[in-house]
Amino acid sequence: MFDAHRSSHRWPVALVVALALAWAAPAAADEAADIVRDADRFRRPAESFVWKINITSQEAKKSPSTDGFEVFVKGSGRSLVKFVAPPRNVGRSLLALGRDLWIYLPDAGKPVRIPFSQRLVGQVANGDVARADYSGDYDAKLLGEETVDGVACHVLDLKAKTKDVTYAGVKYWVSKDGRRPVKAEFYAATGTLLKTGTFDGFKEVVPGHVLATRLTLVDGIRKDKSSVLDYGGIVVRDIPDKYFDKNAMKSLD
Amino acid sequence: MRALLALLVLGWLAGDAFADEPEAGPSWWPAALRVRGRLAEEFAYRLHDPGDVSKLKTLGWLEGKYTLSEAANVRVTTRGYYDAVFAATDRYPDNVRRNQEKELELREAILTLSHGDFDVRVGRQQIVWGEAISTFVTDVVNPKDFREFVLPDFTELRVPIWALDGSWRLARNVTFQGVWTPDTMHNRLPKKGAEFQFQGPAFQFRNPVVRLPDGEDEFSLARSEGGFRLSALREGWDVSLIYYDEADKTPVLFQRRVPQPPRPDVIVLEPRHPRLHIVGFTLAKSVEPVVIRSEVAVSVGKRYETTDRNDGDGVVRRDTIDYLIGVDFPLGWDVDGALQLSQKILTGDASGLTRPGVQGRVTTSLALRLTTGFFDNTLNPSLLFVVGVERADFRLSPRLEWVLSGSLTMAVGADVFEGGRRTLYGQFDRNDRVTFTTTWRF
Repeated sequence: MFDAHRSSHRWPVALVVALALAWAAPAAADEAADIVRDADRFRRPAESFVWKINITSQEAKKSPSTDGFEVFVKGSGRSLVKFVAPPRNVGRSLLALGRDLWIYLPDAGKPVRIPFSQRLVGQVANGDVARADYSGDYDAKLLGEETVDGVACHVLDLKAKTKDVTYAGVKYWVSKDGRRPVKAEFYAATGTLLKTGTFDGFKEVVPGHVLATRLTLVDGIRKDKSSVLDYGGIVVRDIPDKYFDKNAMKSLD
Repeated sequence: MRALLALLVLGWLAGDAFADEPEAGPSWWPAALRVRGRLAEEFAYRLHDPGDVSKLKTLGWLEGKYTLSEAANVRVTTRGYYDAVFAATDRYPDNVRRNQEKELELREAILTLSHGDFDVRVGRQQIVWGEAISTFVTDVVNPKDFREFVLPDFTELRVPIWALDGSWRLARNVTFQGVWTPDTMHNRLPKKGAEFQFQGPAFQFRNPVVRLPDGEDEFSLARSEGGFRLSALREGWDVSLIYYDEADKTPVLFQRRVPQPPRPDVIVLEPRHPRLHIVGFTLAKSVEPVVIRSEVAVSVGKRYETTDRNDGDGVVRRDTIDYLIGVDFPLGWDVDGALQLSQKILTGDASGLTRPGVQGRVTTSLALRLTTGFFDNTLNPSLLFVVGVERADFRLSPRLEWVLSGSLTMAVGADVFEGGRRTLYGQFDRNDRVTFTTTWRF
């Protein structure tokens, strides 16, 4: 039977709990966003810089192939990726401006719009090289804590803020100590696991700034297909704005 | 051949040609100088009577770029080729042999200067507008080389011109580009008897006909061409407005009668290049994982030959709208698709117009391109199918590329044409071919 008296005592309690949850939820979301933002700092050394990425792709028992890129980054949303090896790809470049991406193909002679999710080489999508801004691209939620290879980690669920990013979702492990990126699982909109990434090779490549200099991506289904991204040759400098103008892509080749 | 040998030697000097990884040049090599290039062997076999080799072409490209500073660089590119098919067969007349057997051309000679938000490129160059690939709707600045129809890469189809090209970044993601050229070159068309000779206008004259030669390509300040493009990126929408003022790069045959009493009048066909004002826009937008593109160009002052006997000069003006809508999409199983609808719409009656590319007041074309890759993109099949909707003429071009190493690729393919003789693709109904290409880059 409904007890009006007891119920009237419960309302203030429920209200307090609801308010506490309403207050706590954004706080948790803020903490999750802070963790992702801190982890992003291990994936970019400065506001404006140039680095080289060598991608070694391996499939089953085949001999590995290596592709080289020179990447110019300015701010959180602008990057120009020049293809520097092998010779058949030299002359190509990718330009990312926010969530928009172009490829310059010497055979076509002009920049052409392409999606971030399109495969670049091996297990690597265009967005894996052209963007390193998880905090800008995804809304984060703390799922809990786990230990990965002996490292205590926060586990975060990242959901794409828009459709214009590389992955619909990312499950992200960030170390509790120092908030370094440790591992990521990348998902399609259907929920299919596309690939798994592990971050390592942490080095102080710029004075006072530690970076993850290696990212290993393994296919979500075929574990014998993988790509290793090695970051190096980092130069922190101010890059002129012309590097981030699609009309200048041909001249910059 | 000597030119090609020279290219080869320079390529060898430029570095270790067989290495997949770029290596630093020799110690005496200036660090600011970058040299690269490629050599290609292109073979084509014509399937129809007379089944025979139709191309045996050796090509070489050599490009040098000297970076003076962050704000200035010079780039020079040359291309040379020799087509041994003219020595191997006697199927082609001498005028075709002279026109297509060998060539050494300066493809680029550009000085690029930058200052703040201004960039200037001056010299011989290609200036490419538009968002879609494999189409010329707004790619209006450079003339084109149609001596092998539209089968080569588009960067090879464009004929470079001497031009001044300036860009000004007005704001973040907003750029104004101005172009001016006194180099009023025309499209390069195949000579009579060439493998891909176009069907001429369908004139039926009873009188004797004299066709005058096309005016020579020349520099002319009075006939100089120019225009601008304003590009902006907003909320992922990549939009450009263009305007270009040029002479029609394809000649229009104007007629006149010359009395020859007591004999019948002679019909004189005079190729001219009427002035065109081209206004257009382009847009592109990515909605992961799909990309949509569109281009529109309105050619004001466009003229066409007509078979109407009552027309005094045999030419009518029909301002023309060309547009395309395209969508790129993944099909699954690592197959990428691109579907493109394009239309040419004439503002006025199209009966009696004679060009194979104009099928009526509205000419519609549908193109489908499928690409994929196997074994980490070392084996790359692709398929291009383009159909003229009104008359069902089509082109089908399957191709299989094999990446042997970082420097060496081989490709086998075919070009199949079908349709009536007076249609764009059907005019090459008897030119179906298989191709084999080897390319080595250094």
